[in-house]
Amino acid sequence: MKNNVWNILKKELREMFRDKKSLAMMLVIPIFIPLLIIGMSALFESEMSMPITDYNTIGFNYELTQAEESIISELDINPVIDTEANLEEKFQNGEIDLYVTKEENIYTINGDDSDTSTYASNLVENYFNAYKNYLQTDYLANHNINPDEVLNMIVLEENIKTEDNFFSSYVINYAFLFIIMAITVSATYPATDATAGEKERGTLETLLTFPIKSRDIIIGKFLSVTLSSIITGMLSLLLAIISLKIANNMFTIYEGVNLMLPLSSLIFAIVVIIAYSFLISGLCIAIASKSATFKEAQSALTPLTFISFFPGMIAFMIGITTTNLYACIPFLNYTLIFTDITSGNINYIHIFLMLLSTMIIIAVILKIIIKQYKSERVLFG
Amino acid sequence: MLKVENIKKKFTKLTKKKEKIEFYANNGISFEAHDGEIIGILGPNGAGKTTLLRIIAGILEPTSGSVTFDNLNYHDNETEIKKNIAYLSGNTKIYNTLSCYELLHMCADIYDVNKNEAENRIREITKILNMESFLYNRIGSLSTGQTQRVNIARCLIHNPKYYILDEATSGLDIMSSEIILNFIKEEKKKGKTILYSTHYMEEAENICDRVIMINKGVIMDEGTPEKIKKDTNTTNLRDAFFKLIEGDSNEE
Repeated sequence: MKNNVWNILKKELREMFRDKKSLAMMLVIPIFIPLLIIGMSALFESEMSMPITDYNTIGFNYELTQAEESIISELDINPVIDTEANLEEKFQNGEIDLYVTKEENIYTINGDDSDTSTYASNLVENYFNAYKNYLQTDYLANHNINPDEVLNMIVLEENIKTEDNFFSSYVINYAFLFIIMAITVSATYPATDATAGEKERGTLETLLTFPIKSRDIIIGKFLSVTLSSIITGMLSLLLAIISLKIANNMFTIYEGVNLMLPLSSLIFAIVVIIAYSFLISGLCIAIASKSATFKEAQSALTPLTFISFFPGMIAFMIGITTTNLYACIPFLNYTLIFTDITSGNINYIHIFLMLLSTMIIIAVILKIIIKQYKSERVLFG
Repeated sequence: MLKVENIKKKFTKLTKKKEKIEFYANNGISFEAHDGEIIGILGPNGAGKTTLLRIIAGILEPTSGSVTFDNLNYHDNETEIKKNIAYLSGNTKIYNTLSCYELLHMCADIYDVNKNEAENRIREITKILNMESFLYNRIGSLSTGQTQRVNIARCLIHNPKYYILDEATSGLDIMSSEIILNFIKEEKKKGKTILYSTHYMEEAENICDRVIMINKGVIMDEGTPEKIKKDTNTTNLRDAFFKLIEGDSNEE
């Protein structure tokens, strides 16, 4: 009689591991994480490292001087000289990436907001800066003025410490958000099956005739869903680590950056994932047990997938930093603390507050569900 | 001894116009069941039989009144009482993904039957209920009759003192029904108390020591089948049943 939590847990795990849908939810969802990491890295790489030959064909509606040709050659620009009308047509046809028109001493850069045109525009701006500098130097030299005295009146030196590679923090944080989403999605199915599903199949009535306290039933079910969430979370983390390792070696955008988390960060990341698994499992069971049917429970749980994802995403996008208060706010705290951990800022107070708030929320949720299971509404509600 | 005292159970239902209507599924039901007795609970659909048996099995709480088993009540001794009860209905569902053997072991663990004893009982019950051929099959793959036999096995595993059987033979073929009826008779011989609700009047007449006829949540008549037949001046329980229902409708 003392081991009824274990009896329920054993029953739930047997049912879960023998149900194809539960297994699929638990094991298939993490497979999307490598796709996300490799896909995002490939996208960044393609945007960052466009070969110059893809955007260096620039049209000019005027004859270039020898000086201009020299700078153009230095910058690897491939010039096309033609009339404005022809250049416009060539641009529309994609034969050139941008074109420059000149009227007296006013130069106009013509393009659009496509990636190639933007890259070409940067290249042309570099060209004009160099050309302007040449003209100014030449003018000053012709008037017997040392150009250095005019053009370099002040000396500007840069001493900016570069933060972590933008792409690495972006991809690591999104990978974590996706792990959170995977855990949420994988928790919804077993939670629904263990509560509303059991009600719908009619086995809940049988369960309630057993000499088991409602507390033991709920804790057994809660632990089984939590275990499933932890399995998904750990599998997702493992796949994320492997994918990051592959991405680190595969893409030049991560050059000089180590995407691997140190062991201490990894351990704390696991703590965050386990804490989140407990919270989301409790919430899923609480919501699903109020539903009469499987379908009703799934509809009720759908918003949770978004709620679990958005606070973290917004925090990451607008750059919210962790405070003691934020460390207590569910959903937001896990992402913020994970971001801190990956950037090497392990704050034990924040981690403690996160664990404490998670435990309090879980205790309240379990109390509510246990009370609900003592009432006949659980059968007929 | 099972003692049911003045059980009332109020439900609220919503009409199509979303108005709440309260009604009593049981409205002051009292009776006693002694050791070794089979009590038949008879009544038409909606009479309140299932609600009454669910209250006695501890699945529902009564609005008022009390149920005591050997002077123990649900409020203070829920697990202790449930250890001595087996509840089986025609609709009782069991876990399709488990094998019969796994289910019986799970039930033995829940009812605190020790491992060796559980193993012996499973072997014994399997033989009695002729379950050898499908003991290790998943419940989901069994026929209705086989599933109901597993259900009976589940009820027997902890050797309960009280059986609460709600239309346990409903929808079963004659062979499977016979197995259940034989099981009831055998358990009675062992001094077990059985509450048995059924639609089949002949079945009730054959096996019940006493019968309680209920309609609209109240007891219309109770006693031995002979007493009820005498009360209604009929020769069988079927006619007695119709006469009582008719009388109840006329009173309205």
